[in-house]
Amino acid sequence: MTGCNRLRFQAPALAVAAVMCLAVSACSSSPGKATGATNSKKPLVIGASVSLTGDFADPGKAVKAGYELWAAGVNAKGGILGRKVRLKIVDDTSSPTQVVSNYQNLINQDKVDLVFGPFSSLLTVPASQVAKRYGYAFLEPAGGGPKVFAQKLDNLFFVQPAPVVKSGDVFAAWVLSLPAADRPKTAAYAELDDPFSGPIAESIRNRFEAAGIRTVYKQVYPAETQDFSPIMAKVASAKPDVLVSGTQSEDAYAQVKSLVQLKFSPKFMFMSNGANSPLEFPSKVGAANTTGITSAGDWFPGSTAKGSAEFTAAFVKAHGGSAQTIDNSSAEAYACGQLLEEIAAKTGKLDNATAISALHHGTWPTLLGDLKWDSIGQPQGEFHLVQWQHNSLAPVYPASIAKAAPLYPKPNWGG
Amino acid sequence: MHALVQGVILGVLTGGVYALMASGQTLIFGIMKVVNLAQGAMVVMSAYLSYQLFVSFGVDPFLAIPVTTVVMFGVGVGVQLVFLRPLRRDDKSELSLLVTFAVALLIEGLLSITFKTTYRSINTSYANSSWTVGGYQITVVRVYAFALSLVSLGLLFLLLNRTRFGRAVRATVQNPDSARLLGVESEKVAALGFGLGAATAAAAGSVYGLLYPFYSGSHYDLISRLLSIVVLGGLGSVGGAVVAAVIVSTSSAVVASTVSPAWSEMTFFVILLLVLLVRPQGLFGKVGRGAL
Repeated sequence: MTGCNRLRFQAPALAVAAVMCLAVSACSSSPGKATGATNSKKPLVIGASVSLTGDFADPGKAVKAGYELWAAGVNAKGGILGRKVRLKIVDDTSSPTQVVSNYQNLINQDKVDLVFGPFSSLLTVPASQVAKRYGYAFLEPAGGGPKVFAQKLDNLFFVQPAPVVKSGDVFAAWVLSLPAADRPKTAAYAELDDPFSGPIAESIRNRFEAAGIRTVYKQVYPAETQDFSPIMAKVASAKPDVLVSGTQSEDAYAQVKSLVQLKFSPKFMFMSNGANSPLEFPSKVGAANTTGITSAGDWFPGSTAKGSAEFTAAFVKAHGGSAQTIDNSSAEAYACGQLLEEIAAKTGKLDNATAISALHHGTWPTLLGDLKWDSIGQPQGEFHLVQWQHNSLAPVYPASIAKAAPLYPKPNWGG
Repeated sequence: MHALVQGVILGVLTGGVYALMASGQTLIFGIMKVVNLAQGAMVVMSAYLSYQLFVSFGVDPFLAIPVTTVVMFGVGVGVQLVFLRPLRRDDKSELSLLVTFAVALLIEGLLSITFKTTYRSINTSYANSSWTVGGYQITVVRVYAFALSLVSLGLLFLLLNRTRFGRAVRATVQNPDSARLLGVESEKVAALGFGLGAATAAAAGSVYGLLYPFYSGSHYDLISRLLSIVVLGGLGSVGGAVVAAVIVSTSSAVVASTVSPAWSEMTFFVILLLVLLVRPQGLFGKVGRGAL
């Protein structure tokens, strides 16, 4: 009896749900439909969810600054295809559930024409699925982890030179390009146990071992490791020629401090992240201890890539400071906008379907260099090798972008 | 063998710092039966205070300690008066867990707004220096920190054992009703005791900021360590906290340098579980009310 009643109550509910599904799929079948040249007077509305609060608040704000600088710049030039760009940026509080609601609202309620991505792979994965469901192109500047590409989405484009786990390959390429006598013979690896940092170091290790550089020590450490002295003490006692650190941020600072205290300075040193932060790194480890440390980067001050000079000038004008203080996340976000301009210039229109099909073909110049993608949005280029010299980060490899000669062996610690 | 000895040196020196933080925690529990979940946040707060004094005025973190101690004492007394004193119910101990956790979140939030969420560290000229003794590296900051901990704990011992206030505190710990009958103003002792516990966070914070990069959320890792140390040492026992802190940090450092850093936290919890199986009250805890 109760079963019957329940069924009777469920039937209308099911009907409503079915109607809603139909309505949703009807919407999704016409993504960004009104973005062609027909609406030349309407502004081009681009929605993005970034983290303005929570764990990713600081890099999130850098991403926001990049989007806004690009929009202001393009509007000053008259917009795209005669349409002014209007950004709708909402806060996701660094939460993977909030980011889903945000993109759903941007697409269904605000009916934005296009979307840009949030900060971090953690938020990019759920957000990109929403974009995929509604047929939106998903240009994202900060989600380059393996899980992003494991989704195999054809609408996603990671706007950096290469997937994050390949960011260290440029270091291996440089080391292996050195004359045999100068190359390191032994290597140690200290890797953070997370989806990005460890694999970066592992990718380098595979190439080094194949080239005959012997591994004398390898340690994967958990994220909660606070004291790096024990690990670095073992590195020091193994006396490797090269230390490859798969680091995130504070672990990089702590590793350097421990090595200085242990008075061990390897001839070559690469840190996947942390050491490429122009402001934070020297302030954490002491500027005198930075010289010779290498890391990976995409945009750098003084880059001659397309739009870099405009971006740098606009950033310094809007936010003060110097080119050296610009966070790469801002440049990566800015590049997302540059791509839209180029799609419009190349195809004469700008909608999601056009953006998706266009970006899958050819090479696209941005301030990060020339970008191209495979079918699942993995960029097919390489990061640059950057090195600390004279208290600032200089691109040193490949030679085509180098501003300084790579320094090796790494000088001893400044103390 | 070299790694083992280096690990022991490191562990013992770091133990001093944790002893300092945990002594305040156990003191607060001893006096009021309040498990102060905000102790870690107070350590981080005082790390930020000494960071700011160093960055803005160039004050050495060790010399800043008298200033931060006074500030943190004030914060502690304030927290007790505003948030803990109103709890008069029978389940005060349980409620205090929630209240002090809320205080921790409040402090974390305020620090995030003020200092943002990027990592900070206090880089003095000697922050990375070390002495080489018999082939082993002894970090200057850790030695200073260890010495500071000994001095602070010595002062705390004198305060508790040689002053009227200390006697009142110890009387309250042992038997609050009798202490009240003999004229100890237990409310005042509770406020001052909480302030004293928070004040130990000041010295610990300066040292913490010198040793590790920190941000407003660092207190979660800290508080789990501190609680474990306090439980291992015996709730309410300052001496127990010191011994437990040295055990914790030495075992972690030795395992990290000889086996793997992945096992170092685990080792400590194994020790904690074993001790609790044999002595549920902790190494130096009393079954009834504690004694300092």
